[in-house]
Amino acid sequence: MPQEKPEILPGTLDLMVLKTLAVLGPLHGFGLARRIEQISANLIELNQGTIYASLLRLQQRGWISSAWGVSDNNRKAKFYSITRAGQKSLTAETKSWERTSGMMTRLLAMEAEN
Amino acid sequence: MRTLFSKVLAMFRRRFLDQDFDAEVEAHVQMLIEQNVGRGMTPDEARQAALRSMGNVTRVKESQRESRGLPQIETLFADLKYGARTLRANPGFTLIAALTLSLGIGVVTTVFTAYNAVALKPLPVADPSQVVRLERWFANSRGDFQYEFSYPEYLYCRDRNDVFTGLVAASGSHAVVADDSDKLAGQLVTANYFTDLGVPAQVGRTFLPDEDRTPGGNPVIVLSNAFWERRFHGDREITGRILKLNGVAFTVVGVAAREFNGTAVIPQVPDFWAPVSMQAQLAPGRDWLNMPGDKQFQILARIKPGVGPHRAEAETATLIQQFAGTYKEADRTITVTLQRTSLVGNTEDVRFQASVLAIMLIVGMVLLVGCVNIANMLLARGAARQKEISVRLALGASRGRIIRQLLTESLLLSLIGGAGGLLFSIWTGKLLWIGLQQFLQKTSKGLGFDIAVGIDLSPDWRVLAYAMALSLFAGLLFGLSPALQFSRPDLTVALKTDGGFGGGWSRSRLRSLLVATQVTVSMVLLISAGLLMRGLSRAEVATPGYETQSVYSVSGDFGADPVKVAALEQRLMDRFQNLPEVRNVALGTMPLLGTWTLMMVVGNERGRTLNSYASDTYFDLFGIPIVRGRHLTRLESEQGVNHLAIVSESAARKFWPGEDPIGRHFKLDMNYRGSYMDFEIIGVAKDVRFTSLSRVDVSHVYLAPKPGAWNAGLLVRTEGDSRRAVAALRAAAGTIDPRLAAGLSTMNLEAGPVQLSRSFAQISALFAAILAALALALAGVGIYGVMSYLVSRSVKEIGVRVALGAKAGDVLLSVIVRGLRPVFCGLVLGVAGAAALSALLHATLALPGSSDFFYGVPFYDPATFLGLSAFLIIVAAIASAIPARRALGVDPMVALRYE
Repeated sequence: MPQEKPEILPGTLDLMVLKTLAVLGPLHGFGLARRIEQISANLIELNQGTIYASLLRLQQRGWISSAWGVSDNNRKAKFYSITRAGQKSLTAETKSWERTSGMMTRLLAMEAEN
Repeated sequence: MRTLFSKVLAMFRRRFLDQDFDAEVEAHVQMLIEQNVGRGMTPDEARQAALRSMGNVTRVKESQRESRGLPQIETLFADLKYGARTLRANPGFTLIAALTLSLGIGVVTTVFTAYNAVALKPLPVADPSQVVRLERWFANSRGDFQYEFSYPEYLYCRDRNDVFTGLVAASGSHAVVADDSDKLAGQLVTANYFTDLGVPAQVGRTFLPDEDRTPGGNPVIVLSNAFWERRFHGDREITGRILKLNGVAFTVVGVAAREFNGTAVIPQVPDFWAPVSMQAQLAPGRDWLNMPGDKQFQILARIKPGVGPHRAEAETATLIQQFAGTYKEADRTITVTLQRTSLVGNTEDVRFQASVLAIMLIVGMVLLVGCVNIANMLLARGAARQKEISVRLALGASRGRIIRQLLTESLLLSLIGGAGGLLFSIWTGKLLWIGLQQFLQKTSKGLGFDIAVGIDLSPDWRVLAYAMALSLFAGLLFGLSPALQFSRPDLTVALKTDGGFGGGWSRSRLRSLLVATQVTVSMVLLISAGLLMRGLSRAEVATPGYETQSVYSVSGDFGADPVKVAALEQRLMDRFQNLPEVRNVALGTMPLLGTWTLMMVVGNERGRTLNSYASDTYFDLFGIPIVRGRHLTRLESEQGVNHLAIVSESAARKFWPGEDPIGRHFKLDMNYRGSYMDFEIIGVAKDVRFTSLSRVDVSHVYLAPKPGAWNAGLLVRTEGDSRRAVAALRAAAGTIDPRLAAGLSTMNLEAGPVQLSRSFAQISALFAAILAALALALAGVGIYGVMSYLVSRSVKEIGVRVALGAKAGDVLLSVIVRGLRPVFCGLVLGVAGAAALSALLHATLALPGSSDFFYGVPFYDPATFLGLSAFLIIVAAIASAIPARRALGVDPMVALRYE
């Protein structure tokens, strides 16, 4: 029986994609999806189609760019890479995420005490 | 911002991006399959699993497409494309609808173009929004002179205000004699006139800053573009040319900018501008620059940047009122306001706005009829499209989406019509301009002076925006109700029955309402136009009741002092009287050029009466018989306004019915403020059409002429050849003063005012005829459209009833009668509306000074009402006969099998 896996938190996919691209360099859609699944230790299972919505959004904001290239096993694929603007926003988004998650952690901890 | 840009870009690369994304997704799926195969699945399983983990691919693609571009706009484009295709598929409908709209929008836009040129376009000066015209409000009187200020008032304001960066003054156009023969119209302006308004010279220069300081010391003029082109054919070497004006040599220093037509309140282009310091030379015998009460100048001002209009207004009013304390004002100025400058002054006036609105409403009716027509055609056509729409609704399209699509189609149609209408209005604008110029040329020849008018009728952004808004509005007007009707989601009915027995009840009711409206409006237009045309055609043959061919008014620059004017007129009369070419000479009011209405009191009775001046010889000159009593004697006449009066027969009938009016007394309110004067009647004159060619005066009182009054001028009736007579008059005037002869102008009563009245009637009749023809054509097309639709929908009904034994003719008749019912309703309503309108016009005749557009045709004229109703019925009958014949030719079996 497939184990029930958690839905991905809305709005976090963009940040995941950005971070992955920043760390691993240019990747195609399939590669991205696989990496994200691997890093999450298969805790989340991406509905892999949704990654393209995120990629389009990021592209429209000019945070990533894309170009056709050839994959490891010689297949034509579109590769995405992070732009300078994307780097900047990644820094900002990361900070904002840390603030949010830190706050949540503290908040939840407080509730546990009471 | 960046996102928007990329979205807009994506819209144009749609197909490419679609393929690109398809390829990308395909590659992704392939990689997934390979991965799965690597994990040991069979190719089939691998593919299944791959698609599963990919999610709904179609959904992904769709959402990609939606968020990639701007779906709203893309939908709009899709709708437009679809609409264009539908319109192309029905070229007949499209053509008729577009033409109808073009006519309607064109007519309304033409009226707006004229209004725009007259009231909205700013003057061609630099930064026109900062330039205002000073307008004063008197305690007691109202009229054109409310824009006029005296030169001392101007100086007072100029030197004391701190709200304007510039204040300029310009006199009205004043006639001067050029090169001893020719008459030119010039304006006296302050030296800063051109520079402060920001009007450059196209040749040479405008005035220098101190060129208005020395009285008589600045004989320089700037020419207007119109005069320069007319007289000097645009000669660029014009500067330095000498023109002798009133005998003084003036040097041309430049030509004003091409588009600058002066700043007069009435759009009359002067021939030249001269500095105010030359007033004594150009308008001799007056002292405009020093008399505080001699209001001869208009003032325009440029407001300082940062100063609010209210502050500027308040300060100006205070200054003018302060100045009023320094001398005795004839009529107290209550306040001064600053008016936005447009070509014609006083366009904010309620009466002006109201008449523009009235014209707009009339021509708007044509557009309304057109819209109703198209709505009807859409309804009829939409019935055929019902199935398509029902299918779309059934497939899950929302009602809003369908309405939007149908409306887009209507708007597309209306924009096509709007473009056509704009072209149409540009074209009619040109035609109007040519017509106006010809009319002015003709009348100015008759009236004896040149009227150069500068109106720029070319469309600007305001006209474009107006036409655009109008078309969108029209599109909504005719598109909304059909769209709402069709998208009503009664799916099952529509899908099942394909054109059954008649349409839904509410739809046929809507259609009937539209037809009735249309017929009503057409009928109102048709009857009003019919009455106007019938009346105005009488203008050609209307006889005024007095001599016109050989009567001339003689005027010239007789000076400003009434006493001197009267003396000069008397000398001229004496000279003229002795000429063999002259039959009569008199002083008095020239007919048809505007009389005035006074309040008349007889005992306890009050009423309005027309009033004019007539000297002892006046009635003989015009050949108006005195039916009772006597004329004034020469002595009585020369006394000026005394206590004797001659009244018209109509006045006698009105105030003394069945009595002898001779020797009776009455009172007149001489200045509209209750200063009553008593008069005794010495004679009764035959009724004539004095005030307006369109009707006999309802009541007229002739008084002895006021000495030197402008409306009691010199009148001459000539004998024999008129040209010789006019030359003789000039020569006789020359024996008194040669300059008087040169400046003398004569106006023939027939060629001037009478012709003016007739031309005006002709033009109005033409306008009415065009409107009526449009209304009739539109109504015909409308009725035809509805009837042919009704008949085609009834083919099956006819078939069934014929199969059951009814006679085809009877069945058809019942269909047509049903269809014509709204036509009859509209007819009745229209007749009632037209009657109300003409009764309203008739009611205005209660004012003695108003003219009768119907020229005596009764406002209920049965011939017009019955005739035109019958005419419309015939048109309706023909419009329904054509589709009826087609229906009769249908074989009942075919009709039944049609299902």
